[in-house]
Amino acid sequence: MTGPVSLIANDVHVTFRVYEDGPSALKQAFSNRKWKRTHRTIHAVRGVSFSLHEGETLGIIGSNGSGKSTLLSALTGLTPLDRGTIHAADRPRLLGVGAALRPALSGYRNIIIGGLAMGMRKQEIESRMADIVAFAELEEFIDLPMRTYSSGMRARLTFAIATTEIPRILLIDEALAVGDARFKERSAQRLETIRNAAGSVILVSHDVNEIQRSCDRALWLEKGTVRAEGPVEETIEQYLSATSLP
Amino acid sequence: MTSITPVDNVPNNLFPLADSRSLRNYISELWERREFAFVVPIFDARIQNMDSVLGQIWHLLNPLLMVGIYYVIFGPLLDIQRGENYLGFLVVGVLLFQLTQRIVQEAALVVRRNEALIRSVQFPRGLLPISAVTGQTFAFLPAIAVLFSFMLITQEWPTAKWLLFPLVFIAQLLISGGLAFAVARIGFAFADLSQILPHAFRMLFYLSGILFSIDDFVHNPTVRSLFALNPLYDIITAARWTLMGTPLHSSVVVGLIAWAIVLPVVGLLFFRSGEARYGS
Repeated sequence: MTGPVSLIANDVHVTFRVYEDGPSALKQAFSNRKWKRTHRTIHAVRGVSFSLHEGETLGIIGSNGSGKSTLLSALTGLTPLDRGTIHAADRPRLLGVGAALRPALSGYRNIIIGGLAMGMRKQEIESRMADIVAFAELEEFIDLPMRTYSSGMRARLTFAIATTEIPRILLIDEALAVGDARFKERSAQRLETIRNAAGSVILVSHDVNEIQRSCDRALWLEKGTVRAEGPVEETIEQYLSATSLP
Repeated sequence: MTSITPVDNVPNNLFPLADSRSLRNYISELWERREFAFVVPIFDARIQNMDSVLGQIWHLLNPLLMVGIYYVIFGPLLDIQRGENYLGFLVVGVLLFQLTQRIVQEAALVVRRNEALIRSVQFPRGLLPISAVTGQTFAFLPAIAVLFSFMLITQEWPTAKWLLFPLVFIAQLLISGGLAFAVARIGFAFADLSQILPHAFRMLFYLSGILFSIDDFVHNPTVRSLFALNPLYDIITAARWTLMGTPLHSSVVVGLIAWAIVLPVVGLLFFRSGEARYGS
């Protein structure tokens, strides 16, 4: 293994309620005499355990609806656990500042908003502005509204903001899938920098190639449970043989 | 085969994620991230004004139009000239009331509107209602200029009491902030709140002595002190006293100070106890 342990997930369970959007809620309420909206409890993550080491990139692979994103959100501490514990050296950061950004505003102002949302000081963000803009390769477009950007430009901007401060644990949810070959290469370099600085990365994807390209170890999640965990090639092989069409 | 790493003994440099922050840490984290509440609302105000022709000028025109309409109706038209300076009396009431109403109505939507942000970034959610307060307060600054211009126009000259106006204004922000915290949580759980609020504020408008002085109608001191239970009545009455020297009862002062202390504390505690649920 690489460095010391930076995160331990132990028997993590996550459930959430989803309200049903059936035909005319009011009509049903009258006919059933049940005044509460009907809901389903979804047990999205069922007893997942794993550990993560410093300087390591762990890939989490699984088909759509396997609980990957729910697990990731539990790892940020954003979703309360039903059972189990997660211990970490630092609060993991989700590569998700995209949600804070305002399409109507310029790239420049969005860098400030994104940085503030991540807890940076405005002064700090301004002093790193040139680096962020250069990494996102948006020098000529930084004063244009973000809605005029291509999806690749947007992905570069988000990635550049989220990784300005090297996080100890970075969580990425299929974010690298957008962008051209050049950006993929540059983002892989940035992940390398994070790993070299003893940071760890968890990359969630259903794209096998992406996991192969950037991960040291892989974990296969299916229906909320860990089906396999270990070296990337072996895990991917098991995943592919189980999910490929006959 | 599955080979799960044994996780029985956790190294002591790791801390549990679910560990909720103490109230003290929560407040210090809010303070550390205060720039968010000052910068982001200003940027958002830019977006709102982008498509409008007059843009920022509306922040000035709005209060002017509002006061103008009330004045024409209740002044020359219905001729309800109470007291010496009815226009000044009206301006203070209408404008200050509007600030609190806007803060609270904004706060009712703030958690739902930022759902995506809440789901993806870890930050103390209390920043959102605080942003509603700061954002609406910035937008209100031109209205303060209008307010003071009208004081001078109606020949209400500066006195030493004017120095107390900022204190009343701070009390108003504390009260509005406390309400914003509470309403932000209720508005998250109960989306219909934003339909109810305008009616609640209409009701409150008539109970806050904005168009008529409550003193002219209510002579029983016990009943009058009941009005001090309405924080907006306290704010407006105290503000009028500082600027125009209108009468001020001690019950209003007590009410103002009590609400300015109680509401922020209760509001923050109430908002925070729902913290884990926001965004789900």
